[in-house]
Amino acid sequence: MAIRPRLRRLLPERRVQNVNLDLFASTERVTPHPTPPPMPRVLPQPAQLWLAVRFPTLPLVVVPDPAAVQAVVEGLPGRQWLVAVTAPARHLGLEVGLSRAAAEIRAPSVALYERCPEREAQALQARARAAFAFTPFVSLEAPDTLLLEIQGSLRLFGGLEALLERVRSTLATALIPTVQATAPTVRAALWLARARVERPVRSMVELPGALAALPLAVTGFEASVLQTCERMGVSTLGELIRLPRDGVARRLTPDVPRQLDEALGRTPQPRRRHVLAERFTDQIDLPAESLTTDSLLPWCEHLLAAQQRFLVQRDAAVAQCRFRFQHRSGQGATTLVLQRSLPATQAAEWQILLTERLGRLPLSAPVVAITLRSGVVLPAVPLDEGIGGVGHDGKAAAARLLDRLRARLGEEAVHGVCLVPEHRPEYAYARVRPTLPAMTADPAVWPIAPRPLWLLAAPQSLPVREATPCYGGPLRLLSGPERIESGWWSGQGVARDYYVACAASGARVWIFCERDADGQRHWFLHGVFA
Amino acid sequence: MKASLEAILQDAGVWRGLEAATAVVRARCPSGWPRLDATLAGGGWPLGTLIELLLPAHGLGELRLLMPALCRQLMPSPGDGPRWLVWISPPHEPYPPALAQSGLDPARMLRIDAPQPADRLWAVEQVLHSGSAAVVLCWLDAVDDRWLRRLKLAVENQSVLLIALRPTTRRQTHSPASLRIELVPTPQGLDLMILKERGRAPTRVTRVFGE
Repeated sequence: MAIRPRLRRLLPERRVQNVNLDLFASTERVTPHPTPPPMPRVLPQPAQLWLAVRFPTLPLVVVPDPAAVQAVVEGLPGRQWLVAVTAPARHLGLEVGLSRAAAEIRAPSVALYERCPEREAQALQARARAAFAFTPFVSLEAPDTLLLEIQGSLRLFGGLEALLERVRSTLATALIPTVQATAPTVRAALWLARARVERPVRSMVELPGALAALPLAVTGFEASVLQTCERMGVSTLGELIRLPRDGVARRLTPDVPRQLDEALGRTPQPRRRHVLAERFTDQIDLPAESLTTDSLLPWCEHLLAAQQRFLVQRDAAVAQCRFRFQHRSGQGATTLVLQRSLPATQAAEWQILLTERLGRLPLSAPVVAITLRSGVVLPAVPLDEGIGGVGHDGKAAAARLLDRLRARLGEEAVHGVCLVPEHRPEYAYARVRPTLPAMTADPAVWPIAPRPLWLLAAPQSLPVREATPCYGGPLRLLSGPERIESGWWSGQGVARDYYVACAASGARVWIFCERDADGQRHWFLHGVFA
Repeated sequence: MKASLEAILQDAGVWRGLEAATAVVRARCPSGWPRLDATLAGGGWPLGTLIELLLPAHGLGELRLLMPALCRQLMPSPGDGPRWLVWISPPHEPYPPALAQSGLDPARMLRIDAPQPADRLWAVEQVLHSGSAAVVLCWLDAVDDRWLRRLKLAVENQSVLLIALRPTTRRQTHSPASLRIELVPTPQGLDLMILKERGRAPTRVTRVFGE
């Protein structure tokens, strides 16, 4: 599914070819025109086909049981009317637009629910997310319609009929069915869907005929405009289209001819594209309080699976995700952050880290809910795993190893090193996040003077006997001194004379001598030539 | 029947008592010290198995002893990506400028600090399973020899130099390592006591390198 937008870019569909102008140019050269008239140039316009998916009974999302006699009402108390009814209620004679009092008389057993616009918006957005399976361009038309641009999807899904069937089976439920209208312009598709005309209109030529019979109410014009039309004896779109433009603009509003032009494809109508949420967030309320991390694991895996579906739709991956284990009110929450060096889409990759960390997570109180919030969503990059273990560069395996080690031992426990051009020995290197370099660089040989393979974390003070430093016996100086005097500007300045010395045990050590303010010499052990 | 028996014997998990005699050739990495190479079977450190070094103290030249082999192991081989040199809980900081002087690329070092022995062994196993290490150096003390056996199995059939460094006090405990060597510093240089190698009685290699 995710590959389709790329295919579309590779194969742009162009119905109108550029006109070849060479023949005209040659004739003009024979009889040159002082000011040639502008050549009508036909711009290649990508053909569009819009599918409007309308959910007329979307207010029923608040209804708990679709099989019962139920309806949703809207309006102020005392003046309420039905906006959606279930099928059993329709059989009892209830219909949309009926007042609440009349409905209660016709069907005394009816259960009435208040309309909830927030729930409807959520439901529509959930359907929009699912609609991204069919096209990368999905647009929301409040309160109950999705607009999908499907021209580029036709071939992939095996034609318009098959695509419409797939959309219906994905988006429609028994309680909330779909009305699917197809037209070359956005507005025409929307109006056809409102009029419940499902016969597809595939070309601009058919469009005026298909729109002509629609009642004016589908346009959603202001009530005053509709009343004026009614007084003029205009009741269908066809009759309105036939009227002179300037008269319509003057007597109704300038908006009316503009919308008609958009519906008929005379002027383009830009649509705002629906953008999926930038992060994945989901919450599960546990059926029972839980204190053991083992019992939390299946729920966390469920959330990771939902995150994977979210990421697959976007062809995306995340490098971080955050679990929040909510305790009973007043007891706060425990947070668990999982981090990977390479972004991952698959839930299995995250589960490896999760099982490593979850077993060690200290839970202070029983958990009542789990929230998963993904980090910044990044484009998915396929990992080079090689084919049959041949030709891979091992990056994926190395990144997976680092993630596992960090998950169990902590971020600080795993690190690489790099050289820093600095004279003070303890500042001549730095700890870095390890990465496996693609190439092996020639090691920079710096400095020239000998350096020990073991460096002590902090210089160790050495006792002095008869002016000779001792380390398990008097030390014999082999080479030196090497004067290192640097860093005075940083407050961490050193002024040391380094020597290589031989201990009684045979070990070679790196020691230095430092003078304090009184000129007294102090000896320190700094490294071992292991 | 004979063919199926051969197939079973090819399995790395099957141990054969006559292995030394039948001379199963393991990949070797020359140690870079002529006296040691002349003594070790196959002429170098065996790869893909567990080697144990016993040290009376840290800093006796154990890194100097290993350095030629480390450099050789980190050299890129054709058809194989770069791999790490993994230090697991070293007693001191392996000093990067000195590593660079010895010919090692500091960018290829991976240091893992794990205070708990169980975590160290787990980390070794993870590193071996990932296949992204060329050398694993692990400092251990008291460990369950079942764990060492597990590591030996994990490293089987990989061209990895796996070395456990343990104190000499562990000399008397049983170890499944294929090669056990005790480091004996002397005033003249470093002697090596080969305590265990397949098909060989304990041998002493004197003055591998001198002062």
